[in-house]
Amino acid sequence: MNRKLVAGAVLGGVLSLLAVIGLARFLTSHEYKDAYRPKVTGEDHTPREQGAVDAEKAAEDKAKAKPYEEVAYRRFPGVGSRTAIWVVAQLHLLFAAFVLAVPLFAVIIEFIGYRTKDPRYDHLAHEFTKLLSVSFSLTATFGAFLTFMLIALYPKFTNYLMSVFSPTFLPYVLLFFFEAAFLYSYYYGWGKFSPRVHLFLGVMLNIVGTAIMLIANGWLTFMTSPRGVSESGAVLSTWDAMTNLTWMPINIHRIIANVAFGGSVAGAYAAFKFLQAKTDEERAHYDWMGYIGNFVAISAFLPLPFAGYWLAKEIYGFSQTLGLTMMGGAFSWLFIIQAVLIGNLFLAANYYLWLGMGRIEGAQEFQKYIKYLLLGIACCFAVWATPRSIIATVSEVRAMGGSTHPVLGFLGVMSAKNTAVNILILTTFMSFLLYRRTGKRPSVPWAKVGNTIQLAIFTGAALIVISLGIYGYFVEAAVRIGLSVPQVLSVLTAMVSITVIDVFLYKNAQKTGEVHWGRVPAISQYVLIFIALTFTWLMGLMGYVRSGLRQHWHVYGVIRDTSPDAYTPTLGYATTVVSVTVLIFFVLIGFVFWLASLTGKPDWVEQVAAEKGTAPEPGAAPAPALARSELGSDPAAP
Amino acid sequence: MRIPLILRIAALVVAATAFYTYVGRLVPQKEVYPPAEVEMKANMSTDEMVKVGRQIMEGKGMCFTCHTVGKQGPLRFPDLQGVGDRAKSREPGMNDVQYFEQTLYEPNAFIVPGFNPGMPVINKPPIGLTDQEILTVIATLQSMGGTPNVTMDTKLAHAAGGGGPASGTTTAGGTPAGGPPSGTTPAPTAAVATSTSATATPAVVTSSADPLRDFGCAGCHGLDGSPAGGKKGPSLVGKKIDPAALSSALVKAHGDTNQNLTLGQIKALAAGLAAGKSGS
Repeated sequence: MNRKLVAGAVLGGVLSLLAVIGLARFLTSHEYKDAYRPKVTGEDHTPREQGAVDAEKAAEDKAKAKPYEEVAYRRFPGVGSRTAIWVVAQLHLLFAAFVLAVPLFAVIIEFIGYRTKDPRYDHLAHEFTKLLSVSFSLTATFGAFLTFMLIALYPKFTNYLMSVFSPTFLPYVLLFFFEAAFLYSYYYGWGKFSPRVHLFLGVMLNIVGTAIMLIANGWLTFMTSPRGVSESGAVLSTWDAMTNLTWMPINIHRIIANVAFGGSVAGAYAAFKFLQAKTDEERAHYDWMGYIGNFVAISAFLPLPFAGYWLAKEIYGFSQTLGLTMMGGAFSWLFIIQAVLIGNLFLAANYYLWLGMGRIEGAQEFQKYIKYLLLGIACCFAVWATPRSIIATVSEVRAMGGSTHPVLGFLGVMSAKNTAVNILILTTFMSFLLYRRTGKRPSVPWAKVGNTIQLAIFTGAALIVISLGIYGYFVEAAVRIGLSVPQVLSVLTAMVSITVIDVFLYKNAQKTGEVHWGRVPAISQYVLIFIALTFTWLMGLMGYVRSGLRQHWHVYGVIRDTSPDAYTPTLGYATTVVSVTVLIFFVLIGFVFWLASLTGKPDWVEQVAAEKGTAPEPGAAPAPALARSELGSDPAAP
Repeated sequence: MRIPLILRIAALVVAATAFYTYVGRLVPQKEVYPPAEVEMKANMSTDEMVKVGRQIMEGKGMCFTCHTVGKQGPLRFPDLQGVGDRAKSREPGMNDVQYFEQTLYEPNAFIVPGFNPGMPVINKPPIGLTDQEILTVIATLQSMGGTPNVTMDTKLAHAAGGGGPASGTTTAGGTPAGGPPSGTTPAPTAAVATSTSATATPAVVTSSADPLRDFGCAGCHGLDGSPAGGKKGPSLVGKKIDPAALSSALVKAHGDTNQNLTLGQIKALAAGLAAGKSGS
């Protein structure tokens, strides 16, 4: 196999060399040559040569006299500047999100391992961080790429941003150095320091990473909701510009979304490894890792809509026009696409949980409820994806009495959609709860009362959400908008209080069945990959709306975009760009997965020896410690 | 034949991405371009102004992003059908042109009951209509249930070079101070608003003359000497307050919404409160 590879590489190299030589010969044989002209023997009546010399001199003089002009825009070949920047920025953001998210939950998992003295958690956290170092390099590379692209393609606008935010650049670079220092010492120092020192490194990595994100968020949110500058754009306060109206909502939204995204990608890595696994031990480990990754992703995903509400509220607070452009104008249909994505995420996450019940003995007790949960999720999904107005023919519009369907149109408004998403969240939360309870029986004497209280809280929250949703149809806009707050609060309260009760209820619970990690159908792993892909696509889509919302403004209301790209493309075009970006990301993250999996492979010498059935030659390099303690052969692995 | 794992995963990724791309193409496809400038002729008739104003409302003005025409039910912003008629008596002492002028230049000065504030100042970015464009928009608004009578010569109090109250040239109701042009209805006497004639008519004031309106206080607080009159906040007329105490009073009452006020603006606001501006 390896010989074939070497032979193929040599053959490929020879063929490439021949191709280059052939191309060079072709070009030299077809190079431009002046047409033949006989030598002028007599007087030249048309002083052609002199004319050519004069023209050349005039052109040179003109070039020397050309004044310096600042270029506002440069054109990127093919796709145009906007799309080029868009793809690079999105790729940078995706990797940055991953690099910021993984340490967040890796440190938490490591801490759990430290407290419980269970080495499985420590191994799991280490496995997650294996993905970090290459991702960090890719993040930095795309960051530099984005900066150069901005300077080259949007020099004037970039210069303006620099004039506003130049005081933040040095701290940003310093923090970046610190992040590199903490990240590499956290990864390479695994097992080399005392657990407390190592945890400290992880915490510092998170603090520094978050600080970097906060600075970068100031730059981008300023473009949407500028503050700290005069009407003409003159800088009044860099601090105000940083801490503009949408800064904090974006910070919160991004931290939560990053964790959800990072968890899902880590889950996809586990799925990839599960599907590659050759032993039951490996399958057990990666099944568990995938479950944790998905648990992190969905746990962060559940409160994400609430952070989204807050962000949208602040956008409306800054400018109603901007808010309405987002929800009721050029971008309103984008939220139907978002509904399809989020609906798929909820369905897939629940499906994964239900499939996972198969690995627990005694799950039949709860599986009878799944059909009701599925029905609830499907109904909510349908309501959320219902558009307010429908594309229809003239006759259809006449029949409906307008572009709004007489019945379904009622489901297309915010009252219905808010209600649907809140019920969707509650339902998925119940799925988690059922999964958590599978294989256990509470041993506390107040178990029945506890269950009843939990059910009452759940029912109460659902009733509040539905009642307020219906009430929203009968009140003025000013009142209706405020109803989403109690809806959200009731769901959050229900989730927190039910969880707290559940923790005490199942403390020292009696085990009714064992969990057999690794005993799940393979399709569950493809579901994990699908969840990661959908998260990535969703991030791309929402990144587009956040940025595209400004429409023909670089800085909304302050610096206008006068480039040829100063228009909002069709959603079809936007989704194509998002898809291309997602595919590039998956190719690159596949590369990261592959690199991460190399650490578990034996050395070349060991492989050769294994193939020959002999021991490694004396003096050959020993296999790295990491490879020897790889999780598949680690007795501590589940 | 067993398909290699990497191909199976690639197929899943490509198929799911293709599906989402397809969903993106199912929804309406529309490119939105920056609003085009509408040609403004200096000698447009009122009828022409109505047409041009409609174009501006649909484009650069972005009015129909929020407002509807002829729609009923729970709305987020006031419907514009019949607004030309309603505007004549919407605010006591203001005629339709004055009212429209106020809604466009000082949108938070008066909020239609049942709705939240939210309309942007129309002559500032991101909308940034010129005074001439605003005149055509007023003509169009008048035509929605009323009879348009503004002309391109109509001077608005807020318009740059419009004279303003201090100059005594501000007129409303569609007539310049020099007299009504042919084809327009003379403004009712009560509607002629200048600061010099403020004893007879309610004043249309500029930003520099009335900080209470300028900062949007009038949107909620009564400014006519009576209690709030259906508005949210207490009347502010005659409330004397030290400028130093005003900042903390604002923070207490409004959180940080007024944090961008400069010291000069705070002083002007305190002076406006003491003088009971807009009160008569």
